[in-house]
Amino acid sequence: MMRRMTRLVDHQTIWPWLLLLPLAVYLLVFFAVPLIEVLKMSVTEPKPGLGNYQKVFTGALYGKVFLNTFGTATLVTVCCLIVGYPLAYLMSNTTPRRAMMILLLITMSFWTSFLVRTYAWMVLLGNNGPIIWLIEMIGIADPPGLLFTRFSSTLAMVHILAPYMIMNIYSVMKKIDPVLIRSAESMGARGGSLFRHIYLPLTAPGIANGAVLVFVICLGFYVTPVLLGSPREQMVAGLIGNQIEQFLAFGLGSAMAVVLLVITLIVLGIYHSRFGLDKLWG
Amino acid sequence: MNTFVRWLGYLFVIFIAAPLLVVVPMSFSTSSSLEFPPPGLSLQYYEKFFSDPAWLRPAWNSILIASATTILTMILVIPATFALVRHRFWGKGIANLMMMMPLAVPHIVMAVGYYSYFGELRLVHTHLGVILAHTCLSVPITFLVLSANLKGFDRTLEQAARSLGASPRRVFLHITLPILRPGLMISALFAFIQSFDETVVAIFISGRGAETLPRKMFDSIRQEADPVIAVVSTLLFVAVILGLLAPQIVKAVQSALGRSARNASE
Amino acid sequence: MSSYLQLSGINKTYGNFTALENVDLEVEKGEFVTFLGPSGSGKTTTLMLIAGFATPTRGTIDIEGASLAGLDPQDRNIGIVFQNYALFPHKTAAENVYFPLQMRDVKRLEGMRRADEMLDLVGLAGFSHRYPKELSGGQQQRVALARALVFEPDLLLLDEPLGALDKNLREQMQIEIKRIQKKLGVTTIFVTHDQTEAMSMSDRICVFSNGKIEQLGKPLDIYHRPKTKFVADFIGESNLIPARITDAANCKAQSNVLGDVTYGTQSGTELRDGQEVSLVIRPEHLKLSSKRLADRMSAGIEIETIVNYGDNALVIGTSESQQIRVRVPGADVVILNEGDKCFISWTQDDVFVVTD
Repeated sequence: MMRRMTRLVDHQTIWPWLLLLPLAVYLLVFFAVPLIEVLKMSVTEPKPGLGNYQKVFTGALYGKVFLNTFGTATLVTVCCLIVGYPLAYLMSNTTPRRAMMILLLITMSFWTSFLVRTYAWMVLLGNNGPIIWLIEMIGIADPPGLLFTRFSSTLAMVHILAPYMIMNIYSVMKKIDPVLIRSAESMGARGGSLFRHIYLPLTAPGIANGAVLVFVICLGFYVTPVLLGSPREQMVAGLIGNQIEQFLAFGLGSAMAVVLLVITLIVLGIYHSRFGLDKLWG
Repeated sequence: MNTFVRWLGYLFVIFIAAPLLVVVPMSFSTSSSLEFPPPGLSLQYYEKFFSDPAWLRPAWNSILIASATTILTMILVIPATFALVRHRFWGKGIANLMMMMPLAVPHIVMAVGYYSYFGELRLVHTHLGVILAHTCLSVPITFLVLSANLKGFDRTLEQAARSLGASPRRVFLHITLPILRPGLMISALFAFIQSFDETVVAIFISGRGAETLPRKMFDSIRQEADPVIAVVSTLLFVAVILGLLAPQIVKAVQSALGRSARNASE
Repeated sequence: MSSYLQLSGINKTYGNFTALENVDLEVEKGEFVTFLGPSGSGKTTTLMLIAGFATPTRGTIDIEGASLAGLDPQDRNIGIVFQNYALFPHKTAAENVYFPLQMRDVKRLEGMRRADEMLDLVGLAGFSHRYPKELSGGQQQRVALARALVFEPDLLLLDEPLGALDKNLREQMQIEIKRIQKKLGVTTIFVTHDQTEAMSMSDRICVFSNGKIEQLGKPLDIYHRPKTKFVADFIGESNLIPARITDAANCKAQSNVLGDVTYGTQSGTELRDGQEVSLVIRPEHLKLSSKRLADRMSAGIEIETIVNYGDNALVIGTSESQQIRVRVPGADVVILNEGDKCFISWTQDDVFVVTD
């Protein structure tokens, strides 16, 4: 009897759905519903209508914050690429032992809570910190404060997100067959042309992966910009937090959250249509 | 060109390493401000951390919440991963996407949602609320790790066990589960870390009742930059190093044990 | 009806794809039967049906007259050695071998003793405590064999078990498997795509192609009397020469390449006058000579390529734009040159007829 039952179930598509059901229900109740709640609040709080969105799209402050967020995310992505590419290159063109050490360092950095890393940058860039001290040594008498500026938050974000870029580029770069490079060199490719014709096309998927990840995470970054950034140059996530915590403006905060979500999903959607999302975190 | 890129690489190695290097000395500082290098060395902030309930309670909360999140996540994700890796069925693509969605939504957006939704359910400032939210956020990474493991699982092992006389239930208990154990442990570890490190949602919903360590750290950095934060950072950092070196340590211990066992048997 | 294992009218379809079509097979107790065929020919599918990992769309499988239908794999008492051995990585060699006994509720002490005995039999005494990854390919193979035999299965299935081994080890294992099989007298089905393996080990060979059994018979019969073009081509080297039957009663055929040919007496297939067929001559049965030989049938060829193997050589010649391959002893090859014109010759018994 039991056997017949399982047989019956197994042969249809019910069995996998039975296995999926608990999680599906869970995600519906504790993930989808809160998300819909945000959507709902954006058009009902404080009064029904699209007033909140009107504010977001016409208010000078909000537009500036969105632009600033985009600009910062782009800048951070580019900086991560500038940091990540030479590092990945170094790792794939040095002794295995040294590559291993660098890999360990990067993994360590990756796994260290970004609160810890944010704090570390506060120490490094603080007024009693080593970098200010260095600048004073050079002879600049009264250096400007580095902390709580766009510079400090960008620098910390690059440091926090660079591992994503490095690991993605490294994973494709180490797969490049050295024979390929040697044969390209034997055909006369040097320096720039070697990079343009061999390295760049072969590492492009890693760059794309890393860039999308860094960009998307940066768009919604809350902690580091709030702690290290300039209060006058907020990013979207920080502003949303402000609206909720300080002004209890749930409607406006939700509307910005929805816009942020839509932008994030558009970026991921473009990536998905070209490469497939499953590759992004794989 | 080549050497230039290499030197640039080494420069960035320093960039990556520098912040990790300042934290540990800071924790032994005598100064109450962010002074580096520290003017003197002491253990006063360690003492403070280990005696101050304002720090110990969040640490304990975080361990509790992360453990519960791990268990709940595994209970939900294990069957779902088996379904998604081993079966073909209608709606599989959507199901796959559903598993990954929590990774695609910025945490600040979820934080706003939970703040309001859990407010209605009276779950704000409770352990349960944070656990429920963290479980959602832990699903994708746990699923990714586990499904990679399950995909690499050689199913002929199960066929072999069947042909050798094991019922499906016994195949699962004797073969599938033991072989998948390392993968299960790693994915559980990922779920734990995801919850333990999660900051944004915790800032919004953990409140005073279930304050987590990241929330306490965030508040501390924002308000006074209490040097105890360096102690916490050092402890977390040491945990990461131990975690990364754990496989090597286990291997070393095993080989040492194996050697002594062999010696004993001879 | 008295045969030990019986497959009757087996069909297996996956959607529109027919994997097996009307497979009938009887295997005697203690027999060693090889399923031989290229990949996708249906041999592994048949094995999986016998093992119970798939159900036939139509047809029945019986062991000693009892149907296997509805029995789960774990209830069939069939030992299988998989292509990749499928050893449990978390169990030692002995624990792997003990596993089927454990599933049959044999106590650990007794079971481990029997496992050790079995490991002894396959020549792995002293390796009981090794884990699979600490064993070589050949040793893993032996553990898999021991595991599949320790519970005294009614049937032993071997799914291309030697494919991953190098040539020397493979020959060694062929002898070893045969020795153990004979000693235990277990009825065995061996799946392979390697014809020399099939030739050297089997009591009978069952040649599969496109989901059907092409021919079933003793190894030498299959080699010397292939019934179809496929079998002739797949087993051993063959010259396949198109021809037309001119006088079926007197075994006469006519071919563009060879002229009028008398072929060996045919058993089984009925031939009609005027039927288009292929003549098969094995390369080692052809003789090369500079003149026509009086007592043999012959035809002229021009030598195109000579490939030396040391102890023998393959001479490839053409006649009427058809390639003819001839095996000659290594010593004879020195007098031949590419471009030479000479004669191939054969006797009536060297030629047989296959249809498509």
